[in-house]
Amino acid sequence: MGVTCVCQVPVVEGKSVQQTVEQLHKRLEQLGAVKQGSFFVDCETYHATTNTGAQPSKLLYVMHNSETPLSCLVLFDGGPTLAADANFDVLMVKLKSHFQNAKGHKVESRGARYRYADFLIKVGTVTMSSSARGISVEVEYSACVVPGDCWNLMKEFMQSFLGPSVPDLPSVFSSKAEGLFAPADCMDTMNQYLELFSKIRKQQVLPGSGVR
Amino acid sequence: MQQREEKQLEASVESLISRVAHLKNSLQSFIYKLENEYDRMAWPSVLDNFALLSGQLNTINKLLRNEKTPSYRNQVIIPLLLSPDRDEELAKLTEQRVHVFSHEIVPDHLRTKPDPEVEEQEKQLSAEAARIGQEVAQKQIQTLNKLCSSLLEKLNNPRDDRDAETSAVRQNKQWFNPIDTTALVAAVGFGKGLSKCRPPASVAPGHPGQTMMTGGPTLQQVTIGPSGHQAGIGSSVAQQQPGQPGKMPSSIKTNIKSASMHPYNR
Amino acid sequence: MEAPPVTVMPVTGGTINMMEYLLQGSVLDQSLDSLLHRLRGLCDNIEPESFADHELVYLLKGRQGNPFILRARRSLAHPTAPWHLRYLGQPEVGDKSRHALVRNCVDVAASHSLPDFLNEMGFRMDHEFVAKGHIFRKGALKVVVSKLSRALVPGNTDNTEPLSLSYLVELSVLAPAGQDTVSEDMRSFAEQLKPLVHLEKIDPKRLM
Repeated sequence: MGVTCVCQVPVVEGKSVQQTVEQLHKRLEQLGAVKQGSFFVDCETYHATTNTGAQPSKLLYVMHNSETPLSCLVLFDGGPTLAADANFDVLMVKLKSHFQNAKGHKVESRGARYRYADFLIKVGTVTMSSSARGISVEVEYSACVVPGDCWNLMKEFMQSFLGPSVPDLPSVFSSKAEGLFAPADCMDTMNQYLELFSKIRKQQVLPGSGVR
Repeated sequence: MQQREEKQLEASVESLISRVAHLKNSLQSFIYKLENEYDRMAWPSVLDNFALLSGQLNTINKLLRNEKTPSYRNQVIIPLLLSPDRDEELAKLTEQRVHVFSHEIVPDHLRTKPDPEVEEQEKQLSAEAARIGQEVAQKQIQTLNKLCSSLLEKLNNPRDDRDAETSAVRQNKQWFNPIDTTALVAAVGFGKGLSKCRPPASVAPGHPGQTMMTGGPTLQQVTIGPSGHQAGIGSSVAQQQPGQPGKMPSSIKTNIKSASMHPYNR
Repeated sequence: MEAPPVTVMPVTGGTINMMEYLLQGSVLDQSLDSLLHRLRGLCDNIEPESFADHELVYLLKGRQGNPFILRARRSLAHPTAPWHLRYLGQPEVGDKSRHALVRNCVDVAASHSLPDFLNEMGFRMDHEFVAKGHIFRKGALKVVVSKLSRALVPGNTDNTEPLSLSYLVELSVLAPAGQDTVSEDMRSFAEQLKPLVHLEKIDPKRLM
């Protein structure tokens, strides 16, 4: 696993989510990218029913990524992360009296997976309770594990199909400075998806955000 | 009189045939198992097969030694009719092993002499025996007799002692200690006898903010409720417990007492 | 607040409702070799595995009810191997027709951040021990013969003291709920270990 950047792509004015996704697909295909199957990333939110301290309990996120189909990736907001096998889902069922599943908070992104040389591009439709809320684009440069060394290249590549709305270096990397990207798990990627999901979830609260 | 003997002979041959057939069947099935199921076969079932075979051999031996069984040695078999043609009945009887009863094979099958190879070996041995002198042979016989008798003595005498010893070991030797079983099961089950991680100073690095338990029920103190995490049932027990730390069911007391006699239990 | 029933809960992966069937016993140190010998003869013909594990038992206490217990195990022999997180349900011992103790069981492999993560979830470590020993298999049956030691200094697995002069012997099978026939196999296997070990269905509640 190389360096990954996940960003939200705004829906084109006057178009639906679906149409914008198709436009992105078309641009990638024009570039010469080849479609290689599909992908999904999902996220369940849990909150502790038993507050041990006075402060509100942190939320627990259980995520899955089709890139690591046998794993559960579990995260706390800004806290420790855990990579576990799929039985962690079963464990959460056992823990239901201590950690309650925030229903209706299930977010997922599904879509097509494209390969362009060393780049892996995943264009996904982000859905919450079965309604499309936005578009996610994940770009992975698999030939390098040091974000600082390949960020400019990635940025240039992303500009080629996203246009000017290219994000800055993801904060998960900026906090790491020159340090190596952890290649063993996809936690950095999941952290970025988590950030994106919570951004989209908040958008939903704002009336008339235009993502219908 | 003669008729009776004949009947007896017939009956004994018949029962011998059926016993041998049994033995043959179990040998066949055992060999089949060894060849085809060797990867799945458990040792006890191999032993079972051996036991079956040895039992069947025993019955055959018993049958042969039986008083009612006439001596087969005194019976003479004479080939009355030889034929170079294929005999289907004979093939069936011998499971396709012998197809014709001809001049060629009859001497082999009805022979009273040993196999040619055995005969050859016997010849060599008698030649060898003739070669060494009378005195030397006598000496060798004596040495062998001596060796055999001393070996027999060795085997016979201490066998009684050894038998007595092993049975005593079987009966008296302790392989396990039930008290240890209890202690170990309690330790893996709910940490009984395992040091509590109370001192906060000893928190391993990389465990920030780990506050060790200072109050409330620990695993050892909490009675495991009858049905999982149904809060309603378990709650009264858990709340009650810390209030009366000195009071324990009597069964615990006896456990602690017996365990404390053990050198490793404190 | 009532939690939703299990069927409504989201389960994306994993094997739900696995049960562990368990028989326990012990063997004195001096008889260990005889037992290992016998197990080598009875079990699958593969090299018996040896292991050295450090188990940390964590509790999560709610406002009411019993604490939730999780067991985290790491291999001392293979420090880079994943941690093993285990949930064990309440044992069912009442059924006389069943020859083994039965309890719900969830096994999870987890990354090395597990202790930190459990702490963040609100779990606190209750106790720890070191188990060293051997594993044997015979089909689905698993036999674990292990020496339990307590850590003299918390967290330090080099400085330990054996808990007793015996080895713990556990015979277990993992099977989906309702497959009680496995307990028959376990009993006949346990029968073959006598008189070295008496494997029994031991109710931990009885020992508390």
